[in-house]
Amino acid sequence: MTAIEKDPVVEPAAVEAPRGRLAGLAPYATALRAAGGLLTVVGAYLPWATFVLNDGPYPEKATLEFFTAPLGVSGFRLHLLVFGIAAIVLAFVPAVPARGRILRALGWGVVAVSVVNGMYITTQGGGFGAITAADGAVAFGAIVALIGGAVLLVGAFAGGLEGHARWGRPLGRFVEWALLLVIYALLLLLVAAVLTSGGQGSVANPYSGAVFLSFLGALGGLLAALHSAGVVTWVTGMSERHRAYSAIVLLAVALLLPLTAAGTQYWMTVAANIGVYAATAIGLNIVVGLAGLLDLGYVAFLGIGAVVAANFSGATAARFDIVLPFPLVMVISAVVAGIFGAIVGSPTLRVRGDYLAIVTLAFGEIFVRSSQNNIGGLTGGSNAIPGIPPVTAFGQPFNESLTIGSVELPAGALYYFLIVVIVAAVMAVFGNLKNSRLGRAWIAIREDEDAARAMGIRTGPVKILAFMIGATLAGLAGAFFAHKTGTVSYESFRFLESVTLLAAVILGGMGTIPGAVLGASILFVLPEKLREFADYRLLIFGIALVLIMRFRPQGLVPDAHRRAELAPQSEPPPPDGSTGPAAAKVAAS
Amino acid sequence: MLSTLLSQIVNGLVTGALIGLIALGYTMVYGIIQLINFAHGEIFMVGSYGGLAMFTYLMPTAIQNQWYFALPLLLIAGAAVSVAVAVLMERFAYRPLRNAPRLAPLITALGVSVALQEAVRVFYPGATAALPFPKAFVEGTWEIPVPGGTVPLRWTGLLIIVTALVLTFALNTFVNNSRMGRAMRATSQDRDVARLMGIDPDRVIVLTFVLGAALAGVAGVLNGVDLGFTNIDLGFQNGIFAFTAAVLGGIGSIKGAVAGGFAIGLVKALGGQYLPGGTAYDYVWIFVVLIAVLVFRPQGFFGETERVRA
Amino acid sequence: MTRRRTIITAAILAGTLGLTACGTNREEGEGEGGGTTAGACDTSKGTLIIGMVAPLSGGLSALGLGMRNSAQLAVDQANEACKVPGYALAFQPEDDQANPQIASQAATKLASDENIVGVVGTLNSSTSQTVQPILNQEGIVQVSPANTGPALTMGENFATAPERPFDNYFRVSTTDLVQGPFAANYLVEKSGKKAIAVIDDGKTYGANLAEQFAQQATKKGAQIVAREKVGERDTDFSGVITTIRALNPDAVYYGGEYPVAGPLSAQLAAAGLNIPLMGGDGIVDSTYVSLGGRPGDLATSVGAPAESLPSAKQFLDDYAAQNYTEEYSTYGALTYDATNVVIEAVAKVLANGDYSADKRAEIVAAVADTNLQGASGEIAFDEFGDTTNKVLTVYEVKGDSFAPVEGSTGAFEG
Repeated sequence: MTAIEKDPVVEPAAVEAPRGRLAGLAPYATALRAAGGLLTVVGAYLPWATFVLNDGPYPEKATLEFFTAPLGVSGFRLHLLVFGIAAIVLAFVPAVPARGRILRALGWGVVAVSVVNGMYITTQGGGFGAITAADGAVAFGAIVALIGGAVLLVGAFAGGLEGHARWGRPLGRFVEWALLLVIYALLLLLVAAVLTSGGQGSVANPYSGAVFLSFLGALGGLLAALHSAGVVTWVTGMSERHRAYSAIVLLAVALLLPLTAAGTQYWMTVAANIGVYAATAIGLNIVVGLAGLLDLGYVAFLGIGAVVAANFSGATAARFDIVLPFPLVMVISAVVAGIFGAIVGSPTLRVRGDYLAIVTLAFGEIFVRSSQNNIGGLTGGSNAIPGIPPVTAFGQPFNESLTIGSVELPAGALYYFLIVVIVAAVMAVFGNLKNSRLGRAWIAIREDEDAARAMGIRTGPVKILAFMIGATLAGLAGAFFAHKTGTVSYESFRFLESVTLLAAVILGGMGTIPGAVLGASILFVLPEKLREFADYRLLIFGIALVLIMRFRPQGLVPDAHRRAELAPQSEPPPPDGSTGPAAAKVAAS
Repeated sequence: MLSTLLSQIVNGLVTGALIGLIALGYTMVYGIIQLINFAHGEIFMVGSYGGLAMFTYLMPTAIQNQWYFALPLLLIAGAAVSVAVAVLMERFAYRPLRNAPRLAPLITALGVSVALQEAVRVFYPGATAALPFPKAFVEGTWEIPVPGGTVPLRWTGLLIIVTALVLTFALNTFVNNSRMGRAMRATSQDRDVARLMGIDPDRVIVLTFVLGAALAGVAGVLNGVDLGFTNIDLGFQNGIFAFTAAVLGGIGSIKGAVAGGFAIGLVKALGGQYLPGGTAYDYVWIFVVLIAVLVFRPQGFFGETERVRA
Repeated sequence: MTRRRTIITAAILAGTLGLTACGTNREEGEGEGGGTTAGACDTSKGTLIIGMVAPLSGGLSALGLGMRNSAQLAVDQANEACKVPGYALAFQPEDDQANPQIASQAATKLASDENIVGVVGTLNSSTSQTVQPILNQEGIVQVSPANTGPALTMGENFATAPERPFDNYFRVSTTDLVQGPFAANYLVEKSGKKAIAVIDDGKTYGANLAEQFAQQATKKGAQIVAREKVGERDTDFSGVITTIRALNPDAVYYGGEYPVAGPLSAQLAAAGLNIPLMGGDGIVDSTYVSLGGRPGDLATSVGAPAESLPSAKQFLDDYAAQNYTEEYSTYGALTYDATNVVIEAVAKVLANGDYSADKRAEIVAAVADTNLQGASGEIAFDEFGDTTNKVLTVYEVKGDSFAPVEGSTGAFEG
């Protein structure tokens, strides 16, 4: 999570000498690391809550009263135990490359897990008594583990941080194929585990949010550790070498999600909605990420696609009394949205930069206002267009569950399959465009429009084409949206949705293929998993936008080109000694 | 009818004066650091809540009903809260991004905007719904007689127009004649050269935010006094209108911002009255005008040269 | 530097944790743990959940949070009174952000829980449109306190060929088909207004209400002199007011809610239009007058006046006693009733027999047979799932609050 990508030319073995106050601690580094690990293990075995909270006992038998089987730890305490033991082992095994870095990642993981759980018990328990001592009962698990994590961090820094470990040369093709298969299968299980961790929040399961956050903290620590150990870079390199194979396996893996623990109707619905936004975000990624044209009204194209589809769906409120087959509707929606894209894009001939952003915002607002007023009788106005029938194929409505042989697919799984295919197709379009002559023209315009023109690029048509293609993809998603949601209302296409889409693109990483999908997934999964904090949802969203821009403007999966552009221009060398922004690619997790 | 036409013009002028006050903040900030400060609309909203908090929690009941005491206090409180929020925002959200590419601060501004609005909703007591605002001015209406009827002008509306004009004049004088104003203009033209001339750009930028926020805070309080209530979502729409006004008048131009504000107000009032679709589409007309201006005259009314910004 | 600061912060944090006084909010005397209820009720058979889908964040949260608190109140009272033998009731509100798509996710989440016995909500008609089919698939009863769109119970062709689309959907709110015309009858016949300006906010509730009002008023011989809209985020309505001022109306009907209606009324007066403003139940709120509503303004509200209904008074007192941070707002009483409808039905079905998901059909049937004296009056449902309580009362602003108009209570009969 906090790992910073390093320039690949840095010698892996070069240990950076610690600076500042920590330098004095260098001789005790091993002791500190071991002590931190030990404290973490001790923390895992201590009770965490002194009493049963008002909402019920804290999970994983962490409450003193339920502390009956002290050796059988599970959940977050198991995570801590594993981290602690790993830290102790690493403290004494010198041969491991990038040892300090891995320990730092583990330390942050321990801190995150203990802070999340400790804070939660404290606030729910009404004070620090809940995690220290109250009424003669003591439970110091959270504090001991937190101190353990802090000591581990100090130890990691005091011992000095090496560069990332780098792994050896490529293996044979079939070995790598097999390895990738295993890794992607693990990825699938990991996604399912993230989605289901903490269970479905409800009154019967009040701690799901805390369990989920704690799991995320542990996962972040683990991934950062793997990244430090070079595993992530290694896997990325492998999948880069076998792009086609990886794409096919990943698609297959995505299609298998309904068979995992996450294969419930609820998660299928959420995943289908994520898919809609992911496909739209990829379209936006063309406009913003590749061509560098900021669009603040982009959700209108999704809306236009949805409105078109709704009107040809046979819903009672539809304007036209024609029912067209879904594939045809998708094409029409995409084309109509594309035409509007060209219209909205046409001011780009004369307007640049921020002014263009305002023009697109204005178009977005005009769309919302017009559809609220039921312009031309097409949008249903304030009544929306309800009752859009589900997509049907071979007599099977997509919103119902389906049993094939002994496999039972949850309701919504068919929509999920459909959107996975749509997203895959959109990704393919994006990937091919990006590396085409057109894509290079877009990137050239993004970097310097005047220079691009001087190089003979006809910037006008190329920019309009970016808007048009982006809008087409959004229209495609809109047709799906209309049938999946069953209602098309202007309320779904407001300014905030455009901002969310933009945030998805930026969070994921502009101009990259997995970026938009990753960003959309995070922006949709987090609010769903943390529904109990619904009151603060938008507040957190706003603050998160600010923090992302401050600390990671290049996104989670930075684009090689983009990275150089978005990195701070006059930044002092980072404290860990890396030589500034580099073109290293980080794998999507 | 003449009275209707004149009434709509009066309405447009009141709306326009308010928007112009907000637009000044946009135009100055954009002029100096080329940032569309989307959060400026929320600074306006925060100002009105600052005034309201002053009235509700701090003001002695004895003077609550005497507007000549209450109104200045409200204005000071509103401006102070707006300025405080704006300075914090500049320091912690925008300044770290001073050298970042264009997109980063813009998205930060969107984030700040959402966060400010929600922070008020969550933390200000009762702010989930509209809150009554003290009518701290002469209530009632000036019925201006015209042939065939009268044109009503709320005294508070007149107050807004007068305040906007006076403050604009004062600001214009300050920017054109004072030492600090010269520093502002120098910084907006070339920050690096200004630095070489001994100007501290950070100070100038903070000052710009302070001036813009103070005007927005005053506008927030005046809006509350005029309408008798305040609401968390009045920042966004007025903010967008104000930015439109700033562009319309020519970014960087103080006179232009106010002229643009009046133009927007008139488009809204007259468009709702006379254009097809009526009041349901008045909002749409503003954006149509905006797009037309940006496409055909991006430098606005008073912009001297077309600034190429990418 | 950052790193050092982090470590120092962590150290300070750890130190504080150890030293801080040991406060807790531990509830004394709760033995078993796990249950959400204390007291003497037998809750041995487990916990059943009543869900809610409503906007808890964003612009409409004032209404949504009032709904949440009112439903919570009903559930708490049911638990205290051991309404459902053998079971504890729990309440699970889910945020829909006033967005149909998010509402569908919330509904799916609720629907996938075996222990959900019923759902109260939604606020917006557009969100209900997506929630209805999802709950219908699982046969879960949905009772809305706030949806007013006629199509939700009678299908898209509600005027010509009403057909109930979902048999698990009920509502305790009256539809626009009843409230708008009732208001028109009063304003035209009783108050004798003949030139009426109709304004709405362009949202489902307001636009439909205004539409139904205008139709009936025309039928009764009044003239609709203007049909205007105000923007959802507008605060200054002088443009609209000037437009209608030239047409000399003698009354204004506003379709929408109090945050706009109050200021609109004040600005009407400021523009010299001293004519009454009338609205629907969306403007009956304690803050209407403080936001600018004037004496003489009118509103219709569902049911008989609260003073004549002990149950309504009881609700207001109980709500006040709970010290919720938010007001119960427009739909508080109706939400309270809707929740009680579900609770009563569950109690009736489970009086003899354990709960299983198969009982949901029985609960739907029991809701259909509801006969309850609620905070908003008598509650029973007709064959479409609409409340049979078509009794409305006209309220007039007197002093600083709405007071029922003597003799105005009645049912709408065309």
